[in-house]
Amino acid sequence: MTLAIFRVMLLNLLRDRGALAMAFLLPPAIFVIFAAIFSGTSGDALELRVHLADTVQSERTQQLTQTLREQSGMRIVGSADAPEASVREAVRDATADAGIVIRGSLQGRPDAGQPPILIIGDQGRAMAAAMVMGQVQNALESALPELGVERALGQVQELTGGFTPEQQQRIGRMLAREADLPTEQPRLVGMQELGAEGGADGAVNYYAGAVAVLFLLFSAMQGAVTLIEERQSGVVDRLLLGPGGTRVVVSGKFVFLSVQGTLQVALIFVVAWLAYGLDLPGNLLPWLLTTVVTAMAAAGLALALCAACSTRQQAQNLSTFFVLILSAVGGSMVPRFMMPPWLQELGWLTPNAWAIEAYQGIFWRGEPLDVLALRWAVLAASGLIAFGIALVLSARLARA
Amino acid sequence: MSALAMEAGTVLAVDDVHFSWPQRPVLRGLSMRLAEGELYALLGPNGAGKTTLIKAICGRIRPGKGRIRLDGEETASCAVRQRIGLVPQELAVYTHLTPRENLEVFARLAGVARRDVGEAVTRVLQAAMLQERADDLVRTLSGGYQRRVNIAAAILHRPRLLILDEPTVGVDVDARGSIHQVLHNLRAGGMAVLLTTHDLEQAEALSDRVGFLVDGRLADQGTPQQLLKQYFGDARELVLVLRQTPDTAQAEWLREQGLTPARTASTWAGLQPADSGDAEHLSGRLQARGMEVRELRLRQPDLNSLFLKLTGHEAAP
Repeated sequence: MTLAIFRVMLLNLLRDRGALAMAFLLPPAIFVIFAAIFSGTSGDALELRVHLADTVQSERTQQLTQTLREQSGMRIVGSADAPEASVREAVRDATADAGIVIRGSLQGRPDAGQPPILIIGDQGRAMAAAMVMGQVQNALESALPELGVERALGQVQELTGGFTPEQQQRIGRMLAREADLPTEQPRLVGMQELGAEGGADGAVNYYAGAVAVLFLLFSAMQGAVTLIEERQSGVVDRLLLGPGGTRVVVSGKFVFLSVQGTLQVALIFVVAWLAYGLDLPGNLLPWLLTTVVTAMAAAGLALALCAACSTRQQAQNLSTFFVLILSAVGGSMVPRFMMPPWLQELGWLTPNAWAIEAYQGIFWRGEPLDVLALRWAVLAASGLIAFGIALVLSARLARA
Repeated sequence: MSALAMEAGTVLAVDDVHFSWPQRPVLRGLSMRLAEGELYALLGPNGAGKTTLIKAICGRIRPGKGRIRLDGEETASCAVRQRIGLVPQELAVYTHLTPRENLEVFARLAGVARRDVGEAVTRVLQAAMLQERADDLVRTLSGGYQRRVNIAAAILHRPRLLILDEPTVGVDVDARGSIHQVLHNLRAGGMAVLLTTHDLEQAEALSDRVGFLVDGRLADQGTPQQLLKQYFGDARELVLVLRQTPDTAQAEWLREQGLTPARTASTWAGLQPADSGDAEHLSGRLQARGMEVRELRLRQPDLNSLFLKLTGHEAAP
């Protein structure tokens, strides 16, 4: 009998092209968009538009601007001899993501509170200014290494009381580039980015799971609303006389939504595998288990919510509210590490966080089975408990 | 033993059933019988308790007092309720499926064994005269066909009692005729059929017996002919439509003639003795009192007249 309801749901989906597209085309499409955006922020694909103005136009500043123009990750826009006010204007009206104004000599000690190079950023794109700051530091180090030497010598001179005439002569020659600068010093701070070996970009990995749960919740809610339609049309009245009652209806929908959800998630991860190199074939079984329990959790929650509502309108409003809140808090919209600690903790109350962490555990961190088992258990239990609640509520409301 | 004895062939026995919602009593000592192959129409104004009675028969609500039995067994039991077929007022089928697909689904949900589904669907498609449109989507069918699918989905498991809630609401005259034919056939097959309707013409044409439910009690029940004879004898009903609304004196005179306003202020109706004279004579008397007659009819009283008499309400159009 459960299969009969499964068949109804399947035919409903197959004969409604809009619902079919919503279920199976939209999730991979949205994933590709998210992946394109967020893989850019962590890789070379991101290109910031930077308005660079050099108001000094000295040999050194020209050397710096030339190096900045050659840096990857930035595209220099605007006129180089624009005044500082124009650069501010460009950042404010978003024709540039950030601005660099060289407004003082790069020789000698800078005045306090008046750095010779000013980075102009917008609060709404704070990350852009920070990235440009890093690029400028990098350019200074490679284009004008003598600048660092000069500053260091100045400090040494202050501390030691000065150099001998012979030392000053050698320093002068070196700074005038008549003698070689000391060989490049090893950097104090290095950077190493960790990733899955031979796997996809971290953001791609994260958003495959994040988008998957978001869509699981949305389509489960859409499918579960039929529970209310059946109650209103009298189908449930009819079925209450049969041997299965509402139990059959709710069970059939639970099974269908779990299968549909598994297929939806599969499509997203297949795209992640084919387009971004996610190692799906190498992690097929743990992925499948995570996907099935996540789909069960989404199906159970959606059915419980719809079983508690008396009208379609009420269910639609409530489900939109819940899906958006769960997805925002659980990390489907913004990565969880960017959230304040209390919000990250709150995220554990959502299926999104458990599912995203499970997928990250499989594809990124290579977590052992005992850690994954806890995540699977939480997702499966929440799905089954919610399914139980849906059964009880449906039976109670049907008798009202 | 119940107030009404169970006779042979009785399918449904409702005995002294009481039910109250928290704020108000709905059923107040209702008793009725329904026999094999009998079609019974339950009539009554909105709020009289028809839907509540259906819910009680289907086991959706438990009566505070009284018994409801199907073939002698309490309908509180799940197994007994499975011998009932229900046709809700709304179209309670899946409109994105064909009639055949719907029937296959509802057969399984009604407990028909998988191996018997094909036979049940064929039988029911025939009984509901749906064969030629069996493979079209329900949403593309006309109202009459849709209503027949609604009925067909309730008889797959060969119920002993079929309950229909307003089966012809919103369908045209032709479609209504085909639904009547289906119900006739089911009755002829031995099924007991209980229907609620506001369509008194339908009730009169279809039913073996009718019952008037007023304020939670059966005001009266019997065959339509028997009830009409009992309440109206040989009297005829006069329906008078005036060109203008009568003034106070004219209205007073009309009341003295046994007429009361009906539907509009210029329409009056009332029973007239069989020997009250012909229409021409009456028309002359009305004109003599300054009333211009647009229409004047003398007719046999029907269930509408009886409905008005028993419930105090005009039947819903």
